[in-house]
Amino acid sequence: MSYIDVQNLSKSFTLRKKREKGKLLREKTEIQALKEISFSIGEGELVGYIGPNGAGKSTTVKILSGILTPDGGSARVGGLIPWKERKRHVQRIGVVFGQRSQLWWDVPIMDSFQLLRDIYRVPEDQYKKRLSNLTDALDLGAIMKTPLRQLSLGQKMRAELCGSLLHGPGLLFLDEPTIGLDAVSKLALRDFLKEENEKKGTTILLTTHDMEDIAALCSRVMVLGHGKKLFDGQLSHLLSRYDTVRVIEVRYGSGILPPLPDCCRMERNGENYRITYEPEKMPTAQLLSLLQGAGEIRELTAQPQNIDHMIAAMYKEMDL
Amino acid sequence: MDTVKLYLKSMKMLLRSQMQYPASFIMQTIAQIVMEGGEMMAVLLIIDRFDTLHQWTGGNLLFFFGMMSVTFYLTECFGRGVTGAFPSLVRSGHLDTFLLRPRGVLTQVLCHAIDPRRIGCIGVGVISLILGSRQSAVIWTAGKALLFLESILFGSMLILGLFLIEAIFCIHSVKSIEVVNALTYGGRSACQYPIDIYPRPLRILFTAVAPFALVLHVPSAFILDKPIYSLPGFAAFLCPAAGAAFFLLMYGLFRKAMTYYRSTGS
Repeated sequence: MSYIDVQNLSKSFTLRKKREKGKLLREKTEIQALKEISFSIGEGELVGYIGPNGAGKSTTVKILSGILTPDGGSARVGGLIPWKERKRHVQRIGVVFGQRSQLWWDVPIMDSFQLLRDIYRVPEDQYKKRLSNLTDALDLGAIMKTPLRQLSLGQKMRAELCGSLLHGPGLLFLDEPTIGLDAVSKLALRDFLKEENEKKGTTILLTTHDMEDIAALCSRVMVLGHGKKLFDGQLSHLLSRYDTVRVIEVRYGSGILPPLPDCCRMERNGENYRITYEPEKMPTAQLLSLLQGAGEIRELTAQPQNIDHMIAAMYKEMDL
Repeated sequence: MDTVKLYLKSMKMLLRSQMQYPASFIMQTIAQIVMEGGEMMAVLLIIDRFDTLHQWTGGNLLFFFGMMSVTFYLTECFGRGVTGAFPSLVRSGHLDTFLLRPRGVLTQVLCHAIDPRRIGCIGVGVISLILGSRQSAVIWTAGKALLFLESILFGSMLILGLFLIEAIFCIHSVKSIEVVNALTYGGRSACQYPIDIYPRPLRILFTAVAPFALVLHVPSAFILDKPIYSLPGFAAFLCPAAGAAFFLLMYGLFRKAMTYYRSTGS
């Protein structure tokens, strides 16, 4: 039995254009944000949700968290219809928007947490236990009495996460949680989410543009483009289809590299060469012997393709 | 009960965060006292020129003025989330956050803001009420005191209802709210004076459409022992319910509008 069950979900927005001269009514254009998407997510899964800007990711999250009402299709989360049984539904979910704060701006975050306790009607003993666990896990002890507005972006995100988990939700929606964070904060956040998912069994739907987040956390990915679901499966499967290119960097002590066959792309920077090639068309062994024949190699490194490039290639092929 | 507790806690927190900027609070409160004091001066000037306005004495007029000030600014003080902050809640997408919590949207909107600066205006209103009551030699009874409170309570609901119209327009992303403002702020300015001094169209507007007359003037007239609309005494206790009815109607429309809420992009 799946925890989230979405069938043929559709949502469109009407945009009013600026009124043209001589026309009484403004023209309307309809944008289909979601076109009959279906998927299901089991309890305890950690699913990555990716797609270019405007693909409909946030719209999906907003529908599943009860903010928006869809035009068609059905969705059930833990047996409830989010937009119809909103209050019961939101009691069981946590939502973090990377670019939108849910805590109070001018007051110490401790006070925000207490107000959230009252809003969610969390019993005092549970509240205390969860708060002390989250304070440790998210390292909030030193900033509890600081108003939100004085916190750094990384501290803010940790506070937001704490606020969204105080009522012990079984499902967590994260909309670009690592946006703008530095490397240390990002890694800490990933560790926390991984633990939350593995130890507590919290189901997580993670929306992000950061492919490293996805690679580090999610085994399953869904790709959305133009309101349609384009891929749903393991990240490795998705990548193997686009992971067709390898890069070799080579530095010569002496000698000049002769022109390579057309299937290889070569960029030269002084003594350094960067060769991008497809192993299917140009076997690696053959390329290496070509390189060795050209002169004395000082240094040679081989790299896998950058994950962002693969995603870009995928978006391009899918015409996004 | 639980909701009331939450509201009070939110208010306490908001006041504490507002008091982080005391100088700004004091200046703005003084500015508001000056503004509302000016309005009261206008009433005093009328009294000075003409001894009476229709059947109303100067004291009566001060009483009517005080009723409107106290009611209107109490609403603006405690209903700030609806009366002032709502458009920015929609534009900033903060309303999304409210929908993510297991509480009513209107409850959270009301818990979101308070405007303590209005205390100055309310003070001017109270002074005006005391002066008006003294000069009119009102004999207070338990019934009149009850009616007085009823009138202010339902009056606040009426005004909150009027501001809800603006909120509904805002959810549907309509910007032309001048029509509503004519009712809300126009109603405030016009109905500082008793309804029966106005020509018929205005009387109809503020009795049948935005029933300030029923909610504030009928009870005030009863308290001053000068019934208007030649209504029997018990009617004074019934008429203010129009404010509650108006509020409930707008609340229903507000809830309906929320299902059309489309949020803002992120």
